[in-house]
Order: sequence, then C-alpha cells, then structure tokens
Amino acid sequence: MLFATLALFAAALYAIFVVAPVEQQMGIVQKIFYFHVPSAYAMYIGFFVSAVGSAVYLLKRDPRWDAVAVAGAEVGTLFCLIVLLTGPLWARKAWGVWWTWDPRLTTTLLSGMIFAAYLALRSMGDAGEVEKRFAAGLALLGLVNLPLIHFSVQRWRGVHPTVITGKGGGLESEMYWALGLSFIAFTGLAVLLIWARASVERQREQSARLRLELMHR
Amino acid sequence: MRALIAALVLGCTMFITPVALADSPPEPEPDTAAAETPKDAAEERATQFVGVRGPEAESIPGGALLLGAYAIVWALLFLFLMRMRGLQRQTAEELERLSAEIRASEGQ
Repeated sequence: MLFATLALFAAALYAIFVVAPVEQQMGIVQKIFYFHVPSAYAMYIGFFVSAVGSAVYLLKRDPRWDAVAVAGAEVGTLFCLIVLLTGPLWARKAWGVWWTWDPRLTTTLLSGMIFAAYLALRSMGDAGEVEKRFAAGLALLGLVNLPLIHFSVQRWRGVHPTVITGKGGGLESEMYWALGLSFIAFTGLAVLLIWARASVERQREQSARLRLELMHR
Repeated sequence: MRALIAALVLGCTMFITPVALADSPPEPEPDTAAAETPKDAAEERATQFVGVRGPEAESIPGGALLLGAYAIVWALLFLFLMRMRGLQRQTAEELERLSAEIRASEGQ
C-alpha cells in the first residue's frame, strides 16, 4: 500500500503540474487547490476515525480503540494544519488577504482547536481512565463540528469557493483528473498514517501496562 | 370569571386586529431587484475555475506562494513521520527494557 500511495502521489504531481491547465484568473497559485482540498478530506477521515474510535472506546473500554482514536486525532490534526497553512497562501493571491472569518475557515479552525485540545490532554504523561474518557468526549464534540465545516459554504454566506459542490462551471476535465488522483493519494496516505500511528500507540499502551505490572511486584 | 376574561380577550383580538390591519398603510410591493440581492450576495463566491488557453502573463506572480504551500505540505509530512519513527524507537526500547526487568524479577 505504501508503494501504491507513493506511485499515486507521483501521478498526482504529474497531473497537477503537467496535465492540468493554469487557471485563468488566479494563475499558477490555483494549483495549491489540488493538495489543499484533498488535505481537508484527509482531515475529515482522521477526525471521523478518532470520533468512531472514541465512541467505541467509551462503550467497550478497549484500549485498542483508544489507540485508533489517538491516531485519528493526530493524523486529522496534521492535515488540518496543512489545510490552515496552505489556504492562506492561496487566499493572499485570490482574496488579497491571508485570512478572513469566512464560515468554512472559522469552523475548520474550530475543529483544529478541538482536536489540538484532545492531543494536549493526551500528551500529559500516561493518560489515566478519566483523561481518556474526557478526551473521547472531546473527539465526539469534534465530530459534531465536521458537518458544519462541510455545509457551511451552502448554508451561510461567505467567500470560500465551491467549485466541486457548487452549481457553477466547476472544473475542467484535466483539473478533475488531477484532483481525483490527489484525492486517492491523500486517502491512501491518511489510512497508512493512521494505521502506523495506531500500532505505535498500542505499543505505548503495552509499555504502560508492563510498567504498572513491574510497580506492583 | 376566567371564562369571561378569556371571552373578552378573544373578542378584542377578533375585532381589533382586522381594524388595525385595515388602518395600517399598505405594504409596498417587494422590489424584485432587492428581493434577489441576498441570493446574489450569497452567490458571490467562485463557482468555477477556468483554464488558460494560450499564453497569458500573471499580474501578481504566485510561484513563491505555490512553492511555499507545497513545501509546507512535504515538510509537515516529513516532520510527522520523523516524530512517529522516534516514538516507535523509544517505545520499542522501553518495551525491551521492561520485559528484561520483568524476566529478572521473575528469576529472583
């Protein structure tokens, strides 16, 4: 899967920089879009996995689901950071400002802050049962915000483009190819990162259990 | 008594409301242009990206912004992978050490 993801990234970069045309009004800076939007999608995957892992952990108290939740939160936050940093670079050219309090931007920032709080809580040494449950609640709160991000461009007035879901002209066919490849590549990357991070988290859990066992001897 | 008060309130409402409505000035006809304004304002966002056909120069060069964006993506991914590798190595070492300590304590 790793090699398939790498090959997809190579294909996506070729499609972005060679096949897809330069946008008429924004110029070359529009090519940020091909990594920005799939990053947002990978963010959704990460945060959704975190919320599902948290929900199952709250029901079953199985540490494996807690590891999945931590992995999802970290990977989701990584992609959220990418979205929040690449977006302003595009906006500087397109809107003339680095940041504006558009509904989609604001709700994305809010999601990032919720999961940053989750990670801050989990990074304070070995998390006990109470911390894990509280963090799981935060992840579920973050899940509530995800539909708000998605539908904010449809429900509220703002300036964020809606080229994929809007009713306008959309994208040219070469642009769709580049974006589609990028979407698949980012999905593969998000799945790989979540899987790898969850494995490490399970090892950490095992290590904490052994430490406790040694203390009680 | 309560029924009487209720009947009075109902009667007043039935008689006064139509009179008040009849006296109020007629509402102006909704201006079609004004009615469409919120919808138009909501549709101010971009809804399409059109490709350039033929040579065209950019007024503001966006190359540096594009380069910065892609550099940020790769740098963050690289840092995340490095952090995960460090965490994995540290955890593996700790697991090995703890297992050795447990074995030693069992041997005693």
